[in-house]
Amino acid sequence: MNENRYVEIANLTKAYPNPFGQDIAVVKDFNLILRKGEIVSVIGHSGCGKSTVLTMLAGLNPITSGSLIVDGREVAGPGPDRAVVFQSPCLLPWMTSFENVMLGINQVYSHGTKVERKQICEYYLSIVGLADSMHKYPREMSGGMQQRVGIARAIALKPRMLLLDEPFGRLDSLTRMDLQDVILEILDRERVTTMLITHDVDEAIYMSDRVCMMTNGPEATVGQVLKIPFARPRVRSEVLDHAHYYDFRACLLSFLQKQEHRKAAHVASFSKKLLDAPVEFVEDTVKEPAKEPVGV
Amino acid sequence: MSESTTDKIKYGLLKTIDISGFKVFDPVVRLLFGEEPTKQAVDIVKYLVTPIVFVLLCMALWTVIAPRHKTKSGEVPTPTEVWAAAVVNDTLNEREDEKETDFALSGEGREDAIMEVSAALIIKEAESVELKSDLLQIEKDVKAEITGKIAPLQEAYDRLSQKNRMIKAERETNIHSLAEGVASKKAASADLLQAIRDDKAATEAGRDAEKLIKEEINEVRNNPPKALKNAQLASNAVANEAGHLSKRLDYLKTGNRSLKVTEAEDKTVAALQKLEDASTPAAVLAAAKLVVGGEETAERIAEQRYPRTATIWFQVKRSLFTVFIGFIMAAVIAIPVGIMCGLNKVVMACLTPIISIFKPVSPVVWLLIFQIVVGAFFPDPENHPLFTFFASLPLVGGLGINPALVFSACTVAICAVWPALVNTALGVSSIDQDHMNVARVLRLSLWSRLFKIIIPSSLPLVFAGLRISLGVGWMVLIAAEALSSSDGLGKFVWDEYQNGSSHSFANIIFACFVVGIIGFFLDRIMILLQRSVSFDDGAAVV
Repeated sequence: MNENRYVEIANLTKAYPNPFGQDIAVVKDFNLILRKGEIVSVIGHSGCGKSTVLTMLAGLNPITSGSLIVDGREVAGPGPDRAVVFQSPCLLPWMTSFENVMLGINQVYSHGTKVERKQICEYYLSIVGLADSMHKYPREMSGGMQQRVGIARAIALKPRMLLLDEPFGRLDSLTRMDLQDVILEILDRERVTTMLITHDVDEAIYMSDRVCMMTNGPEATVGQVLKIPFARPRVRSEVLDHAHYYDFRACLLSFLQKQEHRKAAHVASFSKKLLDAPVEFVEDTVKEPAKEPVGV
Repeated sequence: MSESTTDKIKYGLLKTIDISGFKVFDPVVRLLFGEEPTKQAVDIVKYLVTPIVFVLLCMALWTVIAPRHKTKSGEVPTPTEVWAAAVVNDTLNEREDEKETDFALSGEGREDAIMEVSAALIIKEAESVELKSDLLQIEKDVKAEITGKIAPLQEAYDRLSQKNRMIKAERETNIHSLAEGVASKKAASADLLQAIRDDKAATEAGRDAEKLIKEEINEVRNNPPKALKNAQLASNAVANEAGHLSKRLDYLKTGNRSLKVTEAEDKTVAALQKLEDASTPAAVLAAAKLVVGGEETAERIAEQRYPRTATIWFQVKRSLFTVFIGFIMAAVIAIPVGIMCGLNKVVMACLTPIISIFKPVSPVVWLLIFQIVVGAFFPDPENHPLFTFFASLPLVGGLGINPALVFSACTVAICAVWPALVNTALGVSSIDQDHMNVARVLRLSLWSRLFKIIIPSSLPLVFAGLRISLGVGWMVLIAAEALSSSDGLGKFVWDEYQNGSSHSFANIIFACFVVGIIGFFLDRIMILLQRSVSFDDGAAVV
């Protein structure tokens, strides 16, 4: 298998009919290739179709045209090889966190013994920091703890690909930083190919190897791809102090601002050549870095 | 943060109160533990004392208004009378219990009971005789008193009526002379007419005056002093008690089961003797048949139950059993069908017309249909295996399970099935899409999807539906029993209505409270169940 083309998204299009029966493409000709073990963030304004791309990749949302290939296999429907962490934790409220994680483990490790499965479950719950809250019900846990269970449940499936759909969107900033580190730590160990949907510029830079910027919809597509060359494992303070950090940040922000300005205008789809292109600074780069708190 | 033991007890109690749905007692518990006494006192006054006062006011209103409304079954009973009816019904039940034990007693127990009851009977009979003589004395006194009171009235009445008669005769003579005058053209006919009119008015007035006195006399006669009534009641009660004791004695001495069994066994022994002595084949055969028959009779008698009279608590048990059976039938049908409806739109579309057409049908119609349909299944209910099986069960055997119970239960089931079905379907179809997505990503099999996701998620709504079902079922059952004369609370009410004794009305109102209170507790039980399965700690809708 070609490790450089582990996940291939080619000419992905999703169209919904409008009330007059005409098809309106929400996402059009979306192209992206992920290497094995790579973490790619998809960033864009809300409603631009980021989540649509992710749910199609998860198989939860049928595609209109194009192709989706993960590890040499065409995506057909949802499956445990593409684990999803949603914005809301989506835990089953009538089960403890242990049972919630166990539900997936039972599906994936059906060949293992009961004891093995239990150990696996305990291991993953402890690496997300929930060793003490294994037998709590979701209603007894904070939003951050619930999301940790969601992450444990996804990772425990040993997926080919991890799909994170704004997993920190509903958390306060401190919890969010904690969880970002939890996920990075796991990903550094397990090397799972990951797609992270976010609208937080700092999160995208800190977490990912590449940031895929999406244009505004309708007919949203890949606008630009920014490579983040920081070495892994990453340390937040080092990343923040890095000489190019604010350049990356400015690049992303300017793209997003431009999208805002051009909202009405139709943005031509960028071709494949932009993929893996070296960092290009757009002309109207913001000179002064934005004076907002970093890392939020 | 460590909790003290008192705190633990306190919060445990508060939680129990909350779960069982008696939240009004919350401030009482808090007050007992000394938490913000002023606030709790205010809450108690607002939510506990005020409602109690209101209920007492309603009772007072009832007490005042009830006797003013005269119906053909007597006055509307007051709360005191209803309470008295409750006590009477309870005593009846106790007596049936005693007779049942007496019926089954044997050996020494029976002897002891005979001694005990005989002793009690002698005392009661003596008491009864005494009370009766007292009563006679009082009756005599009262009669004398009444006669004394009536005599002057009667005299006044006689005087008045005599006077009226005399005046009337005078007027009639006058009219006659006037008529003669008119005939001979000496008087005006107008005068005659006026005289006749006056006569009529005067007669009327006279009669009214007489009636007034008559009414006064009746009033005195119909309202003997309270002492008489009390004495009658006391005498009746004791006589009643004595009658019960003598009946018990009967059951112990002659109607007792062990006696009957011994009798049958004696017969068998005699037949055995005959078998030994018999010399011809025909005689041997006859004697042998007698032996076998005697054995069978003894066995049958040994299994006999006391033929209980249906008291109210028996009817309550039977109604509860019937509603339970009907409710289980409804749940067994409604939950799987509801789940299928919720999961599959085609099933839902198929069932929608059936649900919408049969849901509004009156329980009375269902009852009649089931009476016909179920009746056909049991042409010989006495020997049907289902009923002989039920009769042999320990707890429910004595309830007299028969086809009437079966079709009452079916009626309950068909009326109770709809709320449970609709709510289950709603619960299943409104399952959180996120949870379904989890199931899809994990590729859960149909069974684990059903038992791990769909059913747990819809349980709160399923139980909400079952709760409505049970309420509907209980209401329907009482009506069905009243209409079909199937034993139960409904039949109790119907029988009281038909029998029309002086206690009937009070008994009916007593039954009304019994039905209401049982319904209330059934609802509470369902709330408890609902709370125990709901994962979101949702507050019960009370």
